[in-house]
Amino acid sequence: MAAGGIKGLVRAMSRAEGDEVEDLLARLGAAEEALAEEVRRSRALNRIAEAIGAGHDAETLVQTVVDGGVELTGAQFGAFFYNIVAPDGESYTLYSLSGAPRSAFEGFPMPRNTAVFAPTFKGEGVVRSDDITQDPRYGRNAPRRGMPEGHLPVRSYLAVPVITREGAVLGGLFFGHPQVGRFGARAESLMVGLAAQAAVAIESVRAREAAHAELAQRRDAEERLKFALDSGRLGSWELDVETRAYLASDICKANYGRRSDEDFTFDDLVASVHPGDRDRMTAAIEDAIWHGAEYDIEYRVRAPVGETRWVHARGRAAQTADHGGARRMAGVSLDVTERKRAEERQKLLVNELNHRVKNTLVSVQSIASQTLRTTETPEAFRDAFEGRIMALSHTHDLLTQQNWEGASLREIFDFELEAFAARDRIGFDYDRDLQLSPKATVALGMAVHELATNALKYGALSVSGGEVRVVWAVESGETHESPALRLTWTERGGPPVVAPTRQGFGARLLEKGLAGELSAQVSLAYDSLGLACTMRLPIRALEP
Amino acid sequence: MKTLAALKVLVVEDEALVSMLVEDMLSDLGCVVVGPAAELEEALRLAGSADIDAALLDVNLGGRPIFPVADALKERGVPFAFASGYGEAGLSEGHKGATVLQKPFREADLRKVLESLAAQVA
Repeated sequence: MAAGGIKGLVRAMSRAEGDEVEDLLARLGAAEEALAEEVRRSRALNRIAEAIGAGHDAETLVQTVVDGGVELTGAQFGAFFYNIVAPDGESYTLYSLSGAPRSAFEGFPMPRNTAVFAPTFKGEGVVRSDDITQDPRYGRNAPRRGMPEGHLPVRSYLAVPVITREGAVLGGLFFGHPQVGRFGARAESLMVGLAAQAAVAIESVRAREAAHAELAQRRDAEERLKFALDSGRLGSWELDVETRAYLASDICKANYGRRSDEDFTFDDLVASVHPGDRDRMTAAIEDAIWHGAEYDIEYRVRAPVGETRWVHARGRAAQTADHGGARRMAGVSLDVTERKRAEERQKLLVNELNHRVKNTLVSVQSIASQTLRTTETPEAFRDAFEGRIMALSHTHDLLTQQNWEGASLREIFDFELEAFAARDRIGFDYDRDLQLSPKATVALGMAVHELATNALKYGALSVSGGEVRVVWAVESGETHESPALRLTWTERGGPPVVAPTRQGFGARLLEKGLAGELSAQVSLAYDSLGLACTMRLPIRALEP
Repeated sequence: MKTLAALKVLVVEDEALVSMLVEDMLSDLGCVVVGPAAELEEALRLAGSADIDAALLDVNLGGRPIFPVADALKERGVPFAFASGYGEAGLSEGHKGATVLQKPFREADLRKVLESLAAQVA
């Protein structure tokens, strides 16, 4: 130590000289101490500045500032109270502490807007007191007058508002010491500087955090949108009107039969639209660009491979360009091939249904006309007509039950004879049942009805004891003939029958109608034993 | 130009009830029925060689379109009309504009169609 080495010299000096040297030494010591203090402060300031620049979150940043403030001022406690507006709009005061555990504050409410705190929270200026308990502003606010019981023992007090350049109060830095007169003008000016630095840093951290939050929010929203688009199988697209640059999502590309790694330009898109739909599509695009019309269109698409598909595209023009048209268009596209096919199927079905209804009406017209020609009285007409309409209806029931795919020969008999009184007197004899087409079902259904009705009125079933035998078998064709169904309806035990003088509806239907419709050979034999009807029906005309 | 009396009309129809009705109507009108043919092969044979003045064709013959028969008649210059539950919508491109008798039809409708066909008979 330089001063220690000098002490010997001092003893050899005069008293006056000695006093002067003592004084000098004391001043030198004080200067050294002040210098050391200054170095310490400047190091602390550097550390704070570095911490501020390090880009921590607001919490860490504020803690660094408070810790640094305590170090710089020599305070025993430091705190930063700052206002954070919660998402619901309510304002909260949170804090960072230094020199005291958080528990030292936790039992107390947040600082109130008292006379002592008001200048800080309102951003009016610094409050510095050698003994805050002696301050005229202290202890003026009910209910507590002064510090609450158990509060940190604060006498020296320094409070600096932290204010942005725009004048918004972010919060306040508070320092305290249990002894009086600890904070001087130097500490105050250091804290004013620190508060200004903290304000800038907090603001920039908040801006950065807000930007991050917004970015994350957008990313979330984008992800949700993509998820929704993907799960809805919706492709999304964007068209730059001027450059014709086209941005298509993977699903959008897939709608046009392209892989996600394939280039897909707007010209490719237009080229892939079916030529029959292309003009309509480009006109709709133009209309959206120049007149702001809603773009909503369905068109056929010819993928590079595979079949033609249907795409439903919707979109809207955005941002008007200088020339008056739109700058860009954006929208979604959806593969609607399945729906289109279903619509086409439905259209076909409705047409087919209409055709069947019309045909059925002609059948009814024919039955009415022929029944009228062959009956003598309105009562007889009604009786015969109703019976035939019911027969037609039974056949339709049978076919509907089988989805109009046809029915078996035995089923035709069963349906037509279901409500028939003499049903148990009709016996069957056959090796195997036969599946028939809808057309053959309708024709044979009516034939069975005519035979049964005739038997009940004039034939074997008109008397007790009479019977009908139905026999059928498939005959393999003779040399030049195809296989055929041979079916006989033989009545026995009834009255003797004779051929009618005039051909009735039933006989005509059997002998001529079936002959034409099913290429059948039908013969009706009237003899004393009863009626015998023999049919030879080529299998090719019967099968579904 | 012929009158309906003794006009020889080929009937192609695969449903017994319908062809019976048409036969009755034609007989009432004094025409002579040729056929009716219920199968395409028979219809083609009659359309190609039978002695006929006109024809009435069911568009759908057991699931097979009648148009080859119509073509054969056109070739021979025999006037014809289609009878269809589909109306004109059921016609092929080549036969759009042909006379169509929409099913069901009245005897008077059939008479009108036959008269227009008879007018085309040389």
